[in-house]
Amino acid sequence: MQILMQLIVSGISVGMIYGVIAFGYQLTFATSKTLNFGQGEALMVGALVGLTTINFLIGQQLGTFWAYCLMLPVVLAFGALQGSVVEWLGVRPAMRVKSESGWIMATIALGIIFKNLAENIWGRDALKFPSPLPEASLSFGGIRIQPMEIVVVLGAIALMLGVEFFNRRTIYGKAVVATSNDRDAAGLMGINTDRIITFSYALSSMSAAFAGVLVAPVTLTGATMGAVLGLKAFAVAIIGGLNSGLGVVIGGLILGITETLTGYYISTGYKDVPGLVLLLIVLSLKPSGLFGKATIKKV
Amino acid sequence: MKLKFAWLVAAGMMTAPALAADSIKIGLSGPFTGGSSSMGVSMRDGVKLAVSEINAAGGVMGRKIELVERDDESKNELGVQIAQELINKESVVATVGFINTGVALASQRFYQEAEIPVFNNVATGSVVTKQFAGADFKANYIFRNAANDTIQSAMIAEEAVKRQGFKKPAILADSSNYGQLGKTDLTAALAKMSITPVATEKFNVGDTDMTAQLLRAKEAGADVILTYAIGPELAQIANGMAKLGWKVPMIGSWTLSMASFIDTAGPNGDGAMMPQTFIQQPTTPKRKAFIEAYQKAYNIDRMPSPVSAAQGYDSIYLLAAAITQAKSTEGRAIREALENLGTKVEGVVTTYDRPFTAADHEAISDNIPVFGLVKGGRVGPAHPEDIEGDKALRIKPKA
Repeated sequence: MQILMQLIVSGISVGMIYGVIAFGYQLTFATSKTLNFGQGEALMVGALVGLTTINFLIGQQLGTFWAYCLMLPVVLAFGALQGSVVEWLGVRPAMRVKSESGWIMATIALGIIFKNLAENIWGRDALKFPSPLPEASLSFGGIRIQPMEIVVVLGAIALMLGVEFFNRRTIYGKAVVATSNDRDAAGLMGINTDRIITFSYALSSMSAAFAGVLVAPVTLTGATMGAVLGLKAFAVAIIGGLNSGLGVVIGGLILGITETLTGYYISTGYKDVPGLVLLLIVLSLKPSGLFGKATIKKV
Repeated sequence: MKLKFAWLVAAGMMTAPALAADSIKIGLSGPFTGGSSSMGVSMRDGVKLAVSEINAAGGVMGRKIELVERDDESKNELGVQIAQELINKESVVATVGFINTGVALASQRFYQEAEIPVFNNVATGSVVTKQFAGADFKANYIFRNAANDTIQSAMIAEEAVKRQGFKKPAILADSSNYGQLGKTDLTAALAKMSITPVATEKFNVGDTDMTAQLLRAKEAGADVILTYAIGPELAQIANGMAKLGWKVPMIGSWTLSMASFIDTAGPNGDGAMMPQTFIQQPTTPKRKAFIEAYQKAYNIDRMPSPVSAAQGYDSIYLLAAAITQAKSTEGRAIREALENLGTKVEGVVTTYDRPFTAADHEAISDNIPVFGLVKGGRVGPAHPEDIEGDKALRIKPKA
């Protein structure tokens, strides 16, 4: 029982990270029906900018904890900027000519460019990210958790709640929801939908960058860290449903927990298999995802 | 047309002999960026140090050695391109390097076909020197001065079972060629002592959560963890054990001495043990001189990978001795000289006294490496008595 709980706890902390990145996919899909395939790279660049910032702040005689807190707004701002650039360079031109696939190629290309850029600036080695909290683990009735893992889970929930609150309670958020529901109608009502889409990309990369600095102290930071996470999160987004914020969180947890459970109870060699099988099952039985709403596309 | 041809011939005559006459070109292929770069860069720096010493002392046969460095980024396909470039465009007389067994296996066939010797100074896969050995091939152009995986896995099993008395080892290996071939070697070495590992676990390069693997090993009652993987994931194992509040010794292949393991694992990595052909300690005059020269040349205190640096350094001295003996830069003559080396070469790792024969292309024998131990961010000797006094210099026994 204790082992099962330990595995579930580890699965949750891994799954929450997948969930936050997948949440970013969902944000842009809702407003523009497009995705940023460079989401993993947005996470990686965010984490590396965070690393440089935190090391600079620690160099200014700040404690690691305060340096981490001060670093967060810098990284969030950077993420928002990076997302806007992706939308401006990659997505807007494709949407203007009503291209069905131009944005796919453009966002993948931008992702590769960001990765190469990061390799040139930060090198290709995995770097250690200073942990703001003690690295010794806490024990809850025999189940051991690193303090940073708790922060990962809480931080992910806080980010998603923040975005939900914004969408439901503020006038700007309502514009975002209106654009998601019907872009043409929202445009006719006087909402600047182009700006809303740019904003959703900014928010999406911001959540990816935030996920990057959350996960970095538990793992390592480096130019290649985004590739696997971005792909896993994409699977999560499909399992959970691309138009459901709650769906991607649950999808993330499902994938994270199945991975650790399979690793222990079946074989560590087959750790990644059940997640992919689940992906295939969902795609064949409910293509819109477990929590997604099936929409009829009129042509 | 005729005029163009004449121009080409003239241009060819002007450039080719001029280059060949004044320097001896040696290729250098290794990963200088990416996950294996701490080994690649140390190897390169060791090689460059040896070359600059030899050139300062007048070169080989009165000619300077010129290195042609290429970064293979641990990628097999890039290694192949580099091999073709070094052979056909740069016309090297020999190539040293290779950190990754996969890159070595993919690249060295081109040297074998061109009859140009290859000196593997870091790659450890047992099969590396055997790729072109045997009756099917007239001659084998692949040499090595690194402790291969057969030697290392036997040493790991010996240390864990015989010397330290562990009975229930768990093997943790990554899913790469390196990890899986090493796992097979380790299982075989343990089987010879009638020990079956209680758990054999696998993980991917880039994995960050080792909870499932470690819990399986823990529940199987493992009393020691034997590893075959590279730095970052080894660090995740050490950190994962600390997280689970479970501490058993880690003994594994030489990659446990990688800076990326030591730095990322921090105090959790203390106590890890691995076979080493060279430990950064001045136990012989040659080692003292080497360490001081290296520190001065590169302005650092701790070598990122001392083993790679020492083996890289030695590989150039062995090659230079062979070229001097062959009095030729022709590949076949160098190979024959290497197989019948008449002069003793005093290296950092050992003193090479006829290190190769036509059948044996491995300069490092199983009595040469000793166990290193991670302590306070550095690798020291695990059993200081192993390298005391006249045991410091361990020489390959005569065949």
